[in-house]
Amino acid sequence: MSFKVDLEYPFKRYHCKTQPTKSIVMSSIVIFGGESHPELVKKICENVNIHPSQVTLGKFSNGETSISVGDSVREKDVYVIQSGCGQVNDTFMQLLILISACKSASASRVTAVMPYFCYSRQPDTPYTVKGAPLISKPRETYTFESNPGTPINGGSSTKSNSSSSMTTQRPGADSSFKSLNTTIRNTIDLQQPQPSRVQPGVRPVLPTLNNTMSLSRIPIIPGGKVQTPRTSNADAGELFNSQNAGYKLWVVQAGTLIANLLTASGADHVITMDLHDPQFPGFFNIPVDNLYCQPIQMNYIQHHIPDYQDAVIISPDAGGAKRATAIADALELSFALIHKERRSQLLKGPPDATLTSGGALPVSPKPLVATLNFPRNINASSPPKPQISHRHGGDDVNQSKYIQTTMVVGDVRNKVCIIVDDLVDTSYTITRAAKLLKDQGATKVYALITHGIFSGDALNRINQSSIDKLIISNTIPQDKTVQFLGKDRVDVIDVSRVFGEAIRRIHNGESISMLFEHGW
Amino acid sequence: MANNSIKLLAPDVHRGLAELVSKRLGLPLTDSTLKRDPTGEVSFSIGQSVRDQDIFIITQIGSGIVNDRVLELLIMINASKTASARRITAIIPNFPYARQDRKDKSRAPITAKLMADMLTTAGCDHVVTMDLHASQIQGFFDVPVDNLYAEPSVVRYIKENVNFQDAIIISPDAGGAKRAAGLADRLDLNFALIHKERARANEVSRMVLVGDVTDKICIIVDDMADTCGTLAKAADILLENRARSVIAIVTHGVLSGNAIQNINGSKLDKVVCTNTVPFEEKMKSCPKLDVIDISGVLAESIRRLHNGESISYLFKHQW
Repeated sequence: MSFKVDLEYPFKRYHCKTQPTKSIVMSSIVIFGGESHPELVKKICENVNIHPSQVTLGKFSNGETSISVGDSVREKDVYVIQSGCGQVNDTFMQLLILISACKSASASRVTAVMPYFCYSRQPDTPYTVKGAPLISKPRETYTFESNPGTPINGGSSTKSNSSSSMTTQRPGADSSFKSLNTTIRNTIDLQQPQPSRVQPGVRPVLPTLNNTMSLSRIPIIPGGKVQTPRTSNADAGELFNSQNAGYKLWVVQAGTLIANLLTASGADHVITMDLHDPQFPGFFNIPVDNLYCQPIQMNYIQHHIPDYQDAVIISPDAGGAKRATAIADALELSFALIHKERRSQLLKGPPDATLTSGGALPVSPKPLVATLNFPRNINASSPPKPQISHRHGGDDVNQSKYIQTTMVVGDVRNKVCIIVDDLVDTSYTITRAAKLLKDQGATKVYALITHGIFSGDALNRINQSSIDKLIISNTIPQDKTVQFLGKDRVDVIDVSRVFGEAIRRIHNGESISMLFEHGW
Repeated sequence: MANNSIKLLAPDVHRGLAELVSKRLGLPLTDSTLKRDPTGEVSFSIGQSVRDQDIFIITQIGSGIVNDRVLELLIMINASKTASARRITAIIPNFPYARQDRKDKSRAPITAKLMADMLTTAGCDHVVTMDLHASQIQGFFDVPVDNLYAEPSVVRYIKENVNFQDAIIISPDAGGAKRAAGLADRLDLNFALIHKERARANEVSRMVLVGDVTDKICIIVDDMADTCGTLAKAADILLENRARSVIAIVTHGVLSGNAIQNINGSKLDKVVCTNTVPFEEKMKSCPKLDVIDISGVLAESIRRLHNGESISYLFKHQW
């Protein structure tokens, strides 16, 4: 037997009924750790009470992943732990190759344990705010306003300035604000009639399109000055259409592919945590156990947040409402939601509602409970860069029409707020939410996050935001986060026990549903 | 099939080969967007409809970030598949992980097989590759694989650039003997072999020359040049055996690690690679590098595949 069962290891205080006899059964477990998160692997192994098995991970000189499995896996129950972090494609390939190696070495069952499941969220269709592939430089100050929306176009990282003129744009988004004005003015003045719609299949004859290699790729939705609708009323529809016309932007859903690749490599079972889409397990033909961080998070709230009984659980967007309400219900706390009112934007509404012949553009944001008046608040607290500040001047009637409003649905005044979300990447959503909550009178803002990717300057943003404390799980290594934000501001909650117990239970053929309920 | 139903797709990096092929075919590359987020996750969108079209995805997978390229390719294939393409052909001249094609020790992964499975899973209907490290890899696939040969292009290069009557073809290892012998036959030249004992991957130990190279122009032929340690050593041995000069012709110039230093410091007159692997940037720092353009073969194979014509013609005639 190439690995040892450490019988001396102190049994955990949680109810792991590990008897010495049990360990004999356990002896057919083999756990391999990938490169992505060795610390978590160690912790999970401690919880399962075995040592991680020998595996040599590396790369050949040409960049191909090399793996050699040191311990026998014949007829063993193999668990491969690899979080989808770091260089995702490398870690994912490493996982696939490791699974395939175990499978072809006659392992009886191979389970992929992916604490954070890469490619599980569907990133950046141009209208989503989350997961924008933006690598912005760390700035001195940040404005956590909700308008302009997240810079969506990031595109290929190096060509961001040129690509912004090529990829999808919409009025109200970031760089195209000026062009929006132009568009509207032209709509009214009907100065330069131009084809506003690019035929699908025909490369648009935009000069900007041809001079870069990464050329665009999305032939429709020309933004800015190129696209100038002709007349006001009849062409309002055209304006609307032109934003969505032609070949509809079609972004591949990588989820099924990733699922199939795991199956193709030989995985028999997948364990993961807090999947972004609850539908994701449906992409697989093999069982997927989606563990929840929620019990640990609830535990944290109960033990580490003073006077949590008076706290409010916040969902930073409508998509996470269910997750947040689940915690709120379980702890009998009140709940609030941050809602982005996007209808006030020219684009998203039906044309008639936003464009009228007179050039007056009536828009009613209709705040449900409270609307933040961004312009003043922002100028008061942290002045934005000069070139964008004019947007928030609040004097220009036209301009204020297009500000995307964000509102808190629910009462947060003089309360402790706990933002709950499954994933933070750019941190736009939660920093903005925190700012809004503080403006609405929240006394303290906690952010309770399962997966912290923190790409680009996300940590910088959080550092400067109104988030008082960040509570993050260690599905992804968080050493950098703790180092950057300081120990006082970050608490890392450990999920290894849940994974350890899940592995133990799955191996023994026990139910894991109790893991979903009890506070671990 | 109507003539306009071919679509050529290429990722946004290393488009050099794809652009050459598209120029030769007179077909523009289809607009598409690859986006990467900072962690490397890729999202892909195709700018035009590909419904019921014949899709050819042309990639150049070189050294360095192989896994990113692989995932990009898979996602592109899958995107085309789910967008209802009629047939998807992946053109992967340098097939990644081709060298991990067997269980050379216990519990070693057969990654080439995994690659084959992944490509099929993603929805690939046909694979075109070039000078596979082991042609048995074709058997790993459930879909047809066309293994093209760079040999015709190499023959033409030799005829045009080398005084080949005085030349001799050298195989740097026993595994490549067949390839070298084939080329020698075609050029009606002699052939010699260097026998080497390899301790570990990417490391060269002892080499023995079999054959006479006195006063000959030695042309070392191999399918892949990685760190070029083998080539440099081989050149030393050939010159020790009174060869006049040594050049190397390899199909896949991966040129990883300190290959450039190895080449610059070696006694090789020239290292010629085909453009299956992107190495334009390396050519700047290494004057000894030369390139054979194989886009003609690929373009013709695309044309023939699309029209349902025989591919084997390409194996015999010069391109």
